[in-house]
Amino acid sequence: MRSSVSYILSSTTSEPTMSHPDYEQYSHDHAALLVLVKHVGSQLKPKVYGKFFEQISKINNCKITDSTGLLRNIIVRYVREHPVENNDWGDFQTHRRLLGLISLGKYDSQQELSEICRVHESLKVKYNTTLFDSRCIFFGPPKEMTTPVSDDSSSCSENEVKKVDCVEIEKFTTPANFKTRALFYDEVGPCSDLETQVNEFVNSLFWVLESKRLERSREKLERVSLLLAPFEKKDFVGLDMESRNNKKRCTGRMTKHLGDLCLQAGLLNESLAYYTAAAETLKTINDWLWLGAAYEGLSTASALALYPEMPRNMPLHRNASLQEGSPRKSSVSVNAPLLSSPTKKIITNSLLPEDISKRYREAIIHYSKYQNAGIVETEASFKAARIAVEQNHALQAASFLQNVVYINLTLSEQEKIQRFETLAELYSQIGFNRKAAFCQRLAATRYVSPQNTSPNWGKCYSLMLQSLPGHCLTLDPVEMKETDQGWPALQIQLLQELVVAARRTGNSALATRHMTFLLQTMWGHLTPTEQKELSIQLQSLSAQCEGSPVLLVLDSGIVVPPANLTDIPMCTAFIVRDLQPHLRPKAIPTLVEDPGPFLFTPRHFGGGNSLDRRQQRAKTKVDFLWVENEVCEIQVKLVNPLPFELKVSNMRLLTSGVVFESVPETVVLPPDVSTTLTLSGWAREGGELELSGYSTHTLGVKSNCKLKHMASTNFPNFYKVDVVPALPQLKVTTSFPPSASFSNFHDDNIVTSAGVTLFHGESTQCTVTLTNIGQVDVEMLEAEIHSVLEPSLQDQIFSWDDSEVQSQLPIKPGTSATLTLRLHSAANFLAPNVTASPSTLPHDLSSGVYSSMSASVTGGSLPSRFNSSFRSTNSAMSSLVGLPTVIQQHTSSAIEGQLRLRYSGGPGFKSDYCRMCSVFIMIEMIPSLHVTNWDVLPAEISSQFYLVLDIANLTSQEMELRYTPTKTMLIEGQESCRVPVPVDRCPLSKLSKYYEDTEDDNGSTNVDMTRICSEHISELVDLQWLLLATDSKGTSSLKGITLTSRMMDIVRMSPLMWEVQVNGSAIRPQEDINCDAGDCLELKMNLTNSLDKALKQLNVSVQFYQDYENGNLNYRLDTRLATTGSVKKTINCLQSKEIASHECNVIFFTPGQYKVDIQCCAPDNFSTMCASTLSTGHVWRFTPPINISVK
Amino acid sequence: MAVCVAIIGKDNSPKFFACLNPDEELSFQYKVLSSLDVVEEKLSAGNKAGSDLRELYLGMLYSLETHKIYGYVTNTKIKFIIIVDSTNMVLRDNEIRSMFRKIHSEYADIVSNPFYTPGEQICSKPFLNNIRNIMTGTV
Repeated sequence: MRSSVSYILSSTTSEPTMSHPDYEQYSHDHAALLVLVKHVGSQLKPKVYGKFFEQISKINNCKITDSTGLLRNIIVRYVREHPVENNDWGDFQTHRRLLGLISLGKYDSQQELSEICRVHESLKVKYNTTLFDSRCIFFGPPKEMTTPVSDDSSSCSENEVKKVDCVEIEKFTTPANFKTRALFYDEVGPCSDLETQVNEFVNSLFWVLESKRLERSREKLERVSLLLAPFEKKDFVGLDMESRNNKKRCTGRMTKHLGDLCLQAGLLNESLAYYTAAAETLKTINDWLWLGAAYEGLSTASALALYPEMPRNMPLHRNASLQEGSPRKSSVSVNAPLLSSPTKKIITNSLLPEDISKRYREAIIHYSKYQNAGIVETEASFKAARIAVEQNHALQAASFLQNVVYINLTLSEQEKIQRFETLAELYSQIGFNRKAAFCQRLAATRYVSPQNTSPNWGKCYSLMLQSLPGHCLTLDPVEMKETDQGWPALQIQLLQELVVAARRTGNSALATRHMTFLLQTMWGHLTPTEQKELSIQLQSLSAQCEGSPVLLVLDSGIVVPPANLTDIPMCTAFIVRDLQPHLRPKAIPTLVEDPGPFLFTPRHFGGGNSLDRRQQRAKTKVDFLWVENEVCEIQVKLVNPLPFELKVSNMRLLTSGVVFESVPETVVLPPDVSTTLTLSGWAREGGELELSGYSTHTLGVKSNCKLKHMASTNFPNFYKVDVVPALPQLKVTTSFPPSASFSNFHDDNIVTSAGVTLFHGESTQCTVTLTNIGQVDVEMLEAEIHSVLEPSLQDQIFSWDDSEVQSQLPIKPGTSATLTLRLHSAANFLAPNVTASPSTLPHDLSSGVYSSMSASVTGGSLPSRFNSSFRSTNSAMSSLVGLPTVIQQHTSSAIEGQLRLRYSGGPGFKSDYCRMCSVFIMIEMIPSLHVTNWDVLPAEISSQFYLVLDIANLTSQEMELRYTPTKTMLIEGQESCRVPVPVDRCPLSKLSKYYEDTEDDNGSTNVDMTRICSEHISELVDLQWLLLATDSKGTSSLKGITLTSRMMDIVRMSPLMWEVQVNGSAIRPQEDINCDAGDCLELKMNLTNSLDKALKQLNVSVQFYQDYENGNLNYRLDTRLATTGSVKKTINCLQSKEIASHECNVIFFTPGQYKVDIQCCAPDNFSTMCASTLSTGHVWRFTPPINISVK
Repeated sequence: MAVCVAIIGKDNSPKFFACLNPDEELSFQYKVLSSLDVVEEKLSAGNKAGSDLRELYLGMLYSLETHKIYGYVTNTKIKFIIIVDSTNMVLRDNEIRSMFRKIHSEYADIVSNPFYTPGEQICSKPFLNNIRNIMTGTV
C-alpha cells in the first residue's frame, strides 16, 4: 500500500520530525484528551506510582453536560511520558497535544516538597504551549496528626483548599509561587476523593477545550491562518498565500482541525461532517498529507461510532513490554456484540465498517508520500490494524502491520524493539502466531544487537522464550517428541539463540538445559557436523554448570522441564539378564491342591482382569526371577553417534518398586561402534522390580534415560522382574579332576564336573564338597542322580548316603559339607553268545548295558556223554576262537551322570524357592575281565557243583584273580584261563514254590526258576581281581548268567535223596570200593522224594562203565561183569517223603576199574522246558559215580 | 524465475525446501514459515464462506520489500509456497499459477512413488532437479 511516489513530496532536510512514535495508540485516542501523569521526585516508589496511575487511568471516560444541556462523552487518555516534540504535531492532529498534567510526588521535608513543586512548574513550562490545566498530587510523610495549620493552598487559584476531608492538613506548605492546585494524599490511604478530583480536572480540561473549539468554529473560514505540520514550514515560504489554492488549503485544513476538536469534545456527528467536508476540500488541491489526516479522522470517528467499546489492553501493560499472559483477544467472541452495535445508532456521514479500512488505507498511502510523516504513518498503520482486528479481518490487519515494517524511520533501538513487540502482540491477536514469533525473535535480537548500546540479554531471553510456541516448540522434551512437527531448521536456530541468550544472562544451568534439549529433540534434524559442534558446545557449557534432570524455575515463574540426553549414547538393546543357570531360583514343587475335576480352567484365579494382565505380561514382564541381595544384570548395547570418543560415567539403572542398589558404571564409547555394557545392581528386598531405564552422565549432563522416551526401536515402557527373597548359594567341588568333555548329556545347571576311569567291577569314592558362599543358611538339601541309564543300573553305579548329607544341615555361610558319592563300574562280565541263546532268554537280564548274553552250551547235555570232563574239546576251542570278538564288543564305554543338588534356605525357602546345581560325572569304564564261557560240573560232593569259567583278562596287565576265598590265579594280560569255582547248589527251599504248582504256566515258572538259580550263582560267586600294575582291584559278578535246563539240574539240589549201600554199607563220596573179581556186590539204593509233591514215572537205572581217562567211556562190559536183578526199575509214583528202594547184585569177572552210574530219569512231567530241544526229561544222578576197583 | 519453493505438509512442517541461493535458505525459511499464518487464515476464511474448494491457488500471500510470496494448497492441505523476487516483473499471476500446477504434478508423482512414505521429508534428487527446473523456468 506504499505510495509509489513515496518521499517525492518530502523535503530531504531533516526537519524536526516527530521522533517518538506511540505504538500503543488506538484510533479512539483521536477523541481523547491527552493527560500526562508524571512521576516527580525520587521519593515516590514506582509501585505506588503505578498504583495511582492505574487508579487515575480508570477515569478515562467522563460524561459532561455542556452548556446546551447535551451530554458529552469525553475520553481521556493518560500517559506516563510525552515527548514535547510530539506537541508540534498538535495542529496536524489535535489529540497529540498534551492538554493536562498531573504530577505525583512524595516528600518528607519541606525541601523536597519545594523541589516537587519546582519540577511541576518546570513541566508546566515545558508543555506550556498546549497545556490547559494541571494538578499536583503530594504524598506527605506519615501524619503526626498535627493540628491543621492554615494550609497554604490558598495560593492556588480558588476555594478548593478545604476540598478533601480525608487529607490531613499539612504542616508543610507549597512555595508561594506554586500556582497549581495541590492535592495531598496518604500513600496507603483509600484516597476516596481522588476520582472526583480527577473528574473535576477533566471537566476543567473539557471546558477549556470547548471554549477553544467554539472560538475556532466561530472564525471565518476564509480568514483562517494556514495550519502546518511541523516539517511543512519551509515549504510554504515564498508561496502566494493569497492564491485560491492556498485559500482552499487553509479552509480544508481548518475544517479538518475543527473536526479533530469536535471529536475530542465529544461531538461525533459534527466531527464527521467536518472531516467529510475537509476531505472534499483537500482532495481538490492535492494536499495529500492533510487529506490523509482527514481520512484518518473520518475513519477514527466512524470507528468510534461503530465500536465505542473497542477494548484497550489493560492500562498496566501499556508501556510495559508484552508479557506472557497478556490477554490474547479472541476476536470472534469479543466482536460478536460489537458488530451488532452499528445497527442501533446510525450516524450521518459515518463510514460503513468495510469503508473504514479502505479510508485508512488511503490515508496511509497519502502519509507515505512524506518521509517526515513516517511516524504518523506507522501509528496510523497500527491504529488501522487494531480496527481490523476489531472487525476480525485478519488479513487486512496483517497487511496494515506488514506496512509498518517498510516505513523507514530513524528510531532508537528501544523504539524499534517496541515496534516489533507491538507487532508481535497484534499478530498474535489475529492468530498469526508464527509471524508474532518472528517479530518477537527480531525484537529479541534487537535487544542485543551491536547497535544497541545497552544490551539486555535478560529481555532478549524472555522474548526468545515467548517466541517458542510460534515455532511449534515447547520446553518439554517429552511433548516435543510426541508432536514432532514444526520447522526443524528454524527451531534449531532459535534454540541455539536461546542457548546463547541464556548463557549471556549468566544462567548457565539454563543454557545447559536448552542445549541438552536441542540435542535431544533435534538430533535427527542436525547434520553430523552440527551434532558434533553442538555436543562440544554442550560440553563446554556444562563445564560451567552441570546439567541435571531437575525442574528449573525462572524468575518469571516459567518452569523449564528437565531435558535428558536419551539418545546420546543411543541405546539399541536393553536386555534383562537372567541369573546364571545354577543360581536361578526354582519353585519348590508343592503338592497341588486338588484342582477339581477340571484340568484346565479359562479363569485366572487370583483376581484382576485376566485379559489385561496377560497382555501386559507379554510386553513387560520378564519370565525369570531375580534374587534379593544378589547381583542382577542388564545388558545394554550402546552406540556413540558422535564422531569422537564419548565418556559416559555414572551409569545406573532407574528402577522403581523394591529397593534397588545400582552399581555405577563408566564406559568410554568409541565412535560409531556398538558397545555392550552390563549394568548391575542388587535388589535389597523381595517383590516386584520395575526397570524403566538408566541414568547417564555424559557431556557434563546428567540424564535419566527412560525407555519410553528413547527414540530408537520399540522398547516397552518398563520391564518388570520378580525378586525372590534371599537364597543361599553353594559352591560345589569334587575330589576328582574335571572331566575332559561334556557330551550329549548337557544341562545348564552344571557347575563342575568329575571324570574318573574305572575298570569294570572297580569301585571308588568321590567326595563332593559343598561350600556355602552365600549369606543364608542352607536348610534344605536334596541330591539325586540323573542319567539315561535305567534306574536299577544307575543305583549300582552311583550310590551315596543320604543321611550323611542331612546330618550336616544346616550349612552356615562360609562353612562346607561333604557328600560321599560311591561310584561302581558295573558291567556285564559274561560273554554273549547269540547263536546258542535259548529263545526264552529272560529279557530283563539282557537289557541295558548288558548286551544280549546267553550261555554257551555247545555240546549240550546229551545223556550219552557221561565223561568226567564235561566240556568237549570243540566247545573249548570255539570259546577261544570267540575271544577276539568278545574283546571288541567290550571296549571301554563312558557313563555320564549328573548329581543334581537342590538346596534352599532362609527367606527364599519360606517362599518355596530353591536352587539347583549339578555335578557332571563321567565314568569311563574299561573292561577288566570277561567270562567268555561257562559251564557247570557236578562236584565231588552232592551239595556242591563246579562252575567252570573261561575267564579272559582284557587288560594289558597281569591280573590276580581270586575266585574263591582261598584260591587265586594269575592271568597275563590279554590271556584267558579256565577256573573251576565250587558253588553250593541252589537249595530246594529257594525253588520249592516252583515245584508246587507245576501244571499251569510252566514257561514262566521255568524262567523264574532259571533266574533264581542265576541269582543264586551270582550271589555266591565272587570273582575278585587285582591288577598288579595299577593296583586297582575290583569284583566281577556273574549277574545274569544263563543256564540251560541241563545245567539247571546240576545247579539245583536234586529233589531225590539218594542213599546207596554196597554190601550193606553206605557209600561215602570219593570213596573207592575194593573187591575181588568174582565177588558179588550188593547194591541197594533208597530214593527219597524230598519235594512236597509226588513224582511220577521215575526210571531208575544202574549202569556200569569203564573210564579210560582219555575221554573214552566203555559201556560194553558184557564180558566183564554180570548183574542179577534188574538194573532198571520204573517207579510209577513216588509220593512226598516216600522212600523207594531198589536192589541188584553185580559180579565182576575181570579185575579193573569200574564205575557205576546210578541215575533216575523223570519224563518231563513238571517241565516242558527242554521237550523241544532235548529228548529226555530230567535226569538226577547219584554223584559222584561209585568207583569200584576190582582186583 | 522463482527464488524459492517450499512444500509444507498438513502438520505445517516442511517437507521440501529449495532455493536458488543456499546462503539465504534460513531467511527464506523464516519467510515461508511466516506466510503459513496467512495461508491458514485464508483457508479458515475459505471454509467459513464455503467457497469453491477447487480453487487451490491462494494468490499472493504477502509481499515484502524484496520478495513476493505466493501460496497454493492442495485438497489434502499440502501447501506449496513460491517466493519470487519483487523486482521480477515478468512473472504474472498466470505464470505463477502454472508453476504451482507443475509443482503439484511433480508432487503427485513423488507421492505415487512406492518408496516414498507420505509425510516424510522429500529428498529425491530427480524431484529436486525438476523443481529447480520449474523455478528457473527451464521447463
